[in-house]
Amino acid sequence: MDNILWILFQALVFPGALFLILLAFFYDWFDRKIVARMQNRVGPLVAGRIGILQPFYDFVKLVAKEDITPAAAVRPLFTTMPVMAVAIAVFSILFVPMLSHEALLHFEGDMVLVMTLNTFFSIIVFMAGWAAMGRFGSVGAERAATQLMGYEIPEFISAFSVCLLAGSLSITAVNNAQAQVGIPFILLQPLGFVVFLVSLQAELEKVPFDIPEAKTEIVGGWLAEYSGKKLAFFKLAEELRVVFGAALMATLFFGGNHGPLLPPIAWFLIKTTIAVFIISTFRAVAARFRIDQVLKGGWKWLTPLALLQVLITYLVFLVVG
Amino acid sequence: MLKELLGSLFKKPYTIKYPFSKEEVPLPKGFRGKLTVDYNKCIGCGMCARICPAEAIEMVPHGEKKRKPKFYLSRCTYCLFCADVCPVKAISPSDEYEMADYDKYSSDLVLEPPPVEEAPAEQVKEGEKK
Amino acid sequence: MSAHNIFDLIVGPQHPMLKEPERFVFKVEGEYVVDVEPRIGYAHRGIEKAAENRTFLQILPLVERVCGICSNSHTLCYTLALDELLDLEVPPRAQYIRTLVAELERIHSHMLCLGVMGHEMGFDSLFMYMWRDREIVMDLLELISGNRVNYAMNIPGGVRRDLNSETMDKIRKGLEILEKRNKYYKKVFSEDPTVLKRCADVGVLKESVAKSLNAVGPTARASNYKTDVRKDDPYVAYDEMDFQMIVYDTCDVYARNLVRVDEIIEAINICKQVLDKLPQGDYKVKVPPFPKPPEKEVISRVEALRGELIYYVKADGKSIKPYRVKIRTPTLLNIMPFCEMVKGNYIADIPVVLESIDPCFCCEDRLAFVDVRTGKRWVWSLEQIRYLAEKGRLERG
Repeated sequence: MDNILWILFQALVFPGALFLILLAFFYDWFDRKIVARMQNRVGPLVAGRIGILQPFYDFVKLVAKEDITPAAAVRPLFTTMPVMAVAIAVFSILFVPMLSHEALLHFEGDMVLVMTLNTFFSIIVFMAGWAAMGRFGSVGAERAATQLMGYEIPEFISAFSVCLLAGSLSITAVNNAQAQVGIPFILLQPLGFVVFLVSLQAELEKVPFDIPEAKTEIVGGWLAEYSGKKLAFFKLAEELRVVFGAALMATLFFGGNHGPLLPPIAWFLIKTTIAVFIISTFRAVAARFRIDQVLKGGWKWLTPLALLQVLITYLVFLVVG
Repeated sequence: MLKELLGSLFKKPYTIKYPFSKEEVPLPKGFRGKLTVDYNKCIGCGMCARICPAEAIEMVPHGEKKRKPKFYLSRCTYCLFCADVCPVKAISPSDEYEMADYDKYSSDLVLEPPPVEEAPAEQVKEGEKK
Repeated sequence: MSAHNIFDLIVGPQHPMLKEPERFVFKVEGEYVVDVEPRIGYAHRGIEKAAENRTFLQILPLVERVCGICSNSHTLCYTLALDELLDLEVPPRAQYIRTLVAELERIHSHMLCLGVMGHEMGFDSLFMYMWRDREIVMDLLELISGNRVNYAMNIPGGVRRDLNSETMDKIRKGLEILEKRNKYYKKVFSEDPTVLKRCADVGVLKESVAKSLNAVGPTARASNYKTDVRKDDPYVAYDEMDFQMIVYDTCDVYARNLVRVDEIIEAINICKQVLDKLPQGDYKVKVPPFPKPPEKEVISRVEALRGELIYYVKADGKSIKPYRVKIRTPTLLNIMPFCEMVKGNYIADIPVVLESIDPCFCCEDRLAFVDVRTGKRWVWSLEQIRYLAEKGRLERG
């Protein structure tokens, strides 16, 4: 009984849903502030002391606004997609070790499940854009599905090449293997890190890959017809995905939550913040690609490089023994 | 552009935090702000009302024989033709630029000639007569 | 290519890619644009009609507000028409100051266009940086004229305000910083890999098409079509300045960006020459506030920021108000080349190509006549306008 209550607390409050939502707000503020400072301007300033409450105010404002469903929309899909998006985003983070060296949910092969959940999220994006039945929604949905074909395979392969080093398909095992070996895997697999970073940027739909939601081209794409509470949930889901992507990058490549002196949760936060900084810098420094360039680049560069990384790791294993 | 972006992280932002720090806003000499009128210099020729492109100036009677201009600043385009054409240079721009208001004809946005002063002169005359 | 796959993407009067309202209906097949139907006229305000009720000098602020970005070009063109109408001898110092303000406006407008180009590409950092540096030009213009837009500097017979040496020093310092920054932006626009991916070989306008559709301004000069009113028909002090006409021949968005950046650097060069060679003397001649010119019609043209701008002013010798003022703005000529350029490109290229012609839709107030009985549509040519003006005058007696 005690155990179940403790597990529920961990899943829902800390480090579960509530903590993750607050962390998502914090990282949204951090991203906006960093990008603003890079562009020589101020960023969020007025809400809270240094603007730190700005994402929370945005969420509350959106929840309070009018929620309009277009007459031609497919109602069951239109209303359930936002909730499913948040649910999948929170669920996939629970597989990453945060509070202790073992994740809340772990089993042998959970990396495959997490990657499948990523694909589910992209399918949710596609169905959300299609359910809105608007001109811009359908173009955005089609672009999201097309982009999926470009980045997904390199992402899987670069994540699995890390698992090759750890000898197991579980994120918890990768986390602990880096402590055993003593070196974070970014130093052992730099090529895999670069491929993972680029495909993560495409998965999180951030510039240069924010094509499904290109504001200046198709007015918000798949998000265009959503308003009020549904839009608030979608934006929350996007922010949670940033937390998830950064946490995955920190666990797979930077050494997880191992480190001297501080408790694991502190190391987790520090490394995830560094990962968010890298993602934000990448967002500020590039222009948006075109969808055909993403596909060409994905199949011409990312996938071969990821396969090359796997090949190198395998050869090194053969040689070293 | 990466070097430039990372370098800006350590510099002060270029933004002037306007409503919170007004003294940082630089204003040059000759800035076209709100009009100020020196009604003592005005001779009531009416040239400003004739030339105003936006028809923002109306000549209103002042006393028994004179006319003075009344400025409706909500129509003004700040072209300063009135200042150029005034023969006694009674109109000039000031430094004030915060003129937003809820009412087009509020007292901030309408420059009226001052009321005519007659009472003191009358009293002296009465005293002298007596 | 089956017809029922084509669907309409309406970039309607309100759209994030447009800064001013126009309606474009793009016929799209998958991600390729097959055809486009423009519909202009949303920003028509009746300025030409309003000009018939105002005296010659009162039209100056009216004409300045045709467009916010190219306001000085409009007043300059109208002032040149009035100078000829009233037969005025403008002192050389005034001509130099007019050139200075016109070139500073060119710098500010091209930086605006390039920044918005960065924003349409999704490169917000470039947009923020260019607009931050544009503030330097805006501050200089405020120093000279008192206002950041709508400078009201041109008046028939000269300029409204003079330059003193303190202002000239500040302008020189500002120009130094601008030159350094714009050389850096030239490097970004010609070498940054993500910018090149979006701009190279996109929106190609072949030279023959540009000539037959009569493109103007940087749009034409990027397609190897050498047309620039400052060189072909010099006005104010341009015949005494030493500058080059910038022409590129790759005919795509990349070339248009580079034409604009190079024109900024040339404009800085011209401003420096103006400051060095500024002659002493008066800055205006006296003009009556309500002039009554004799019966005459004048056409004046300048190289506005987007191309060639033409003004036709007709006075009928009997009143202090003009008989007709007609404005032909450059963006009107660039819309048809845009429709040709965008065919065969992706949807993702539409904002980039649209911004590369530097659209200024608020200038496009043209009237088209439609005969409802026969459904015929036409616009008047210059000879027809003159014929109608004569006919109206004869009929009124």
